[in-house]
Amino acid sequence: MLRESMHAGGKEVNVRGVTAGFDVGVDIPHAAMLVEWAEATVLRDAVRISAVRSALRPLLGDAGLVDAAAVIAAFHGFVRIADAIGIPYTGAAQGRDVPELRAEVGINDFYRMRGEAAPPV
Amino acid sequence: MSAFQFESGNSIAIRDDLTDAHENAWAALGAPGTWLTGAQRIAVAAEIRQACSCAHCSRIKAALSPNAVAGKHASLGGLGALEAGAVELIHRVVSDPGRLSERWTQEVLALGLSEGEYVEITGIIAMVMMMDAFTRALGAEQRALPAPQTGAPTRHRPAGAKKQAAWLPLVEPEDATEADGPLYPSPKAGYIYRGLSLVPQSLRDYWALANMHYLPGQFVYKFDSSIRAISRPQVEIIAARVSALHQCVY
Repeated sequence: MLRESMHAGGKEVNVRGVTAGFDVGVDIPHAAMLVEWAEATVLRDAVRISAVRSALRPLLGDAGLVDAAAVIAAFHGFVRIADAIGIPYTGAAQGRDVPELRAEVGINDFYRMRGEAAPPV
Repeated sequence: MSAFQFESGNSIAIRDDLTDAHENAWAALGAPGTWLTGAQRIAVAAEIRQACSCAHCSRIKAALSPNAVAGKHASLGGLGALEAGAVELIHRVVSDPGRLSERWTQEVLALGLSEGEYVEITGIIAMVMMMDAFTRALGAEQRALPAPQTGAPTRHRPAGAKKQAAWLPLVEPEDATEADGPLYPSPKAGYIYRGLSLVPQSLRDYWALANMHYLPGQFVYKFDSSIRAISRPQVEIIAARVSALHQCVY
């Protein structure tokens, strides 16, 4: 979805950044701060959340700040449904989630893709 | 617009559709569900918040092999007959959702949860996690859980549900019946949309909220425009990073 949204604007993005971190050249306004805010929220780091939010507010405006927070929050829900129900990942993004892209992003290193299942206690 | 209070007495305007979605979601969480009573649903919501500070969950999260960590979750103990299965389900899905397996799912069901209860609880987890993450990101106070409403669960299991594509049964669009109520905006609805379809009311409650947070289905594949106050690439870089941090392959 990230790559498709960039292509729609005639731009490219190194999708490996999703797992390995984005470089400073990513061509999305305020990308580094948006990513940091998302990470701080997932990690429940209240100090970081507050600092990044304060820095982002004048850049995004209140409506933009709210919508960014809403997206951060939305993916706290989506991931839990996908992972608890075990929906097939091969149907993600209406089939755009091709094996080559999963390898490129680094998704093949995720637990579910490695097929690990340690013995139950 | 509704004002939303956050730290230091600041307030921020929230668009009305999002505020309404939260109000409706909290009301739905307190109402009787399909397999759980209103009181059980609120007990689930309380346990979700409890899981965020569970030491056993922290040990599992840090372990190389999450299913090999001995110990016991720090539970509130308010789930009655559902306790054993529901606590394991809630704590693992809240704390380490990217490292679940089909075998783990079957073990949770064997602890005494029905498939319907499992899916309904998953829907509650997704909704509470979403709303609490939103207030956390904005630095607002966590909302108090609503009072449970009385009434009996509907106990509706869709006749067309079948276990095929996922670890739990789904209702494929062609198998939905009138008795299930509205399920899908399109017969092409993706698997993420079908995830909660074993409990149609949970599916409807969840997507009424999620569509206001992210994008309604008709906008998801329109990459050249944004209905939000940030650009589509900004939306998607956030989405991708949050998903990756959760090790979500989807």
